[in-house]
Amino acid sequence: MAGEPTIVGLGLSPQGRRLGVSRRELRRRAIDEALADAGLHRRQVDACICIGTELEDLRYAGLTPRTSFALNSGGASPGLSVLVAGGLLATGQAEYVVCVYGEAWTGEAPRLTPHHGASTGTDLGGYSYGYPYLHGLVGPASVYALAAQHYLDRHGGGSEDLAAVAVTERSYGAVRPGAVGFGEPITVSDHQESRMIVDPLRLLDCSRPTDGAVAVVVTSPARAADCAATPVAVLGAGTGHNLENWWNGTMFRRTGAAPDAARTAFRRAGVGPEDIDVAQLYAPFSIAVLLQLEEYGFCDEGEAGAFVRGGGTGPKGRLPTNTGGGQLSGFYATGFTPLSEGILQVRGTAPSSQVPGAELCLVSGSGGNGGVQGSWAHVGMILGRPR
Amino acid sequence: MTTFRPYPGDVVADTADAVFWQACREERYLVSRCSDCDRHLWPAGACPDHGMAGMTWVEASGRGRLVSWTVVHQDYPSSFRGAPDTTAVIELEEGAFVHSALSCRGRPSVGMAVEVAFHQIGDGVVIPVFCTVGDDTVRDHRPPGVPPPGPTGEGVREP
Ligand SMILES: [Zn+2]
Repeated sequence: MAGEPTIVGLGLSPQGRRLGVSRRELRRRAIDEALADAGLHRRQVDACICIGTELEDLRYAGLTPRTSFALNSGGASPGLSVLVAGGLLATGQAEYVVCVYGEAWTGEAPRLTPHHGASTGTDLGGYSYGYPYLHGLVGPASVYALAAQHYLDRHGGGSEDLAAVAVTERSYGAVRPGAVGFGEPITVSDHQESRMIVDPLRLLDCSRPTDGAVAVVVTSPARAADCAATPVAVLGAGTGHNLENWWNGTMFRRTGAAPDAARTAFRRAGVGPEDIDVAQLYAPFSIAVLLQLEEYGFCDEGEAGAFVRGGGTGPKGRLPTNTGGGQLSGFYATGFTPLSEGILQVRGTAPSSQVPGAELCLVSGSGGNGGVQGSWAHVGMILGRPR
Repeated sequence: MTTFRPYPGDVVADTADAVFWQACREERYLVSRCSDCDRHLWPAGACPDHGMAGMTWVEASGRGRLVSWTVVHQDYPSSFRGAPDTTAVIELEEGAFVHSALSCRGRPSVGMAVEVAFHQIGDGVVIPVFCTVGDDTVRDHRPPGVPPPGPTGEGVREP
């Protein structure tokens, strides 16, 4: 066995709105930064996992791996790519795997003059949700809105529980250079006054697409010791799928972390929720933080709102969470938002809000569609120093 | 916002649910059932335990309870004119979960009893809508832009 997949390189391009750089150039920059971080030559990359793309432009990036393929499961892709990298290492197919994501949603990059016509935009996720679209249910916010309505109704909570998540994440984003919320803290009343997007989610409950790329280099523990950067190991991981929760009627209570992903990740790492120092949760909408705090066992059912309102996820709380501002106030790079911040926290090099002595970090991701809106894959990983 | 209201044929790749939509035109509400385990599923697909072999369409009671609901306020590029105000997830008496429009006076409450009604959204295109049980005024309520049942579907689907 090759041992736990170990992350030895991280490349994080600028992240933000209207960067005006093409996605392949953003990806190239992140790859080069990850290789420099790891102290590796580009020729040493023997596998490349390209997230969220059909065209793997390895030529442009200057990579010549022995294998390369695309992986498309939305916000679960980055975490899943690290696990797949572990499989390539374990079966002797690769020694250094690069996993790369990058998008340029909002910034038109300069283009050559076209011969005819203009490029057309693509529809962001209307039809892909199938039958719910017949009834006007449009976009990813609506899935999380159904979960949020269910949560608030079930626990008698108010929108202040959601506000507490948004305000906490903004407090982290406000001090993180480059974050979308940098320098702009918000209050609960700012949240309550922001316009309704998909009831009960308000503008400040929602992330927005940002441009940017992230790459990681994954290798075996033995090779990790020879790399330049401080290695971060996946001590345990777990996968789950919300389709089973759809069949048994619990999908609107869950992000897919419960029951399988959380249980497996903790069991394989040999730790429990009480041992985790910091969490980076995939949460494009505020409700996802509350659900996962309960699914992963940090709070009892219905208590996540009070936990966040009491500062439990803040800088001095029991479980600092989404310490770079998360997806609401940091940047949205699918599951790489939590994964990149988790790597920085375990290394002890977060540019702001570093949790002193953080040894174990939970990282999560959800995404994809198993045939029903909201039936996505979920992956949870516990990151730490190699053991 | 687009002016094109999607029809059932726009949102799936094949005719697996054609029987269901034909029954809607006759104001009958069907759900697919696995004859091996009596589990009811919607939309059409294979039973997670027994595959496709035992799947048949059966008439459902058309009654259920509200699981969750939302109102989409935001105009997305794929939002369409005449979309229902409130959309919901319903748990049918038979145990299947379905997404649907919800017609309801006042604020919906999770767990409330609902029953199906049928709305014509275009020429020969009828979709189910769930309503508060026993409220005929609600049953007759039509979301803005939806014409009454009849042969005139004009104005719904613009060229
Ligand atoms: Zn069956």
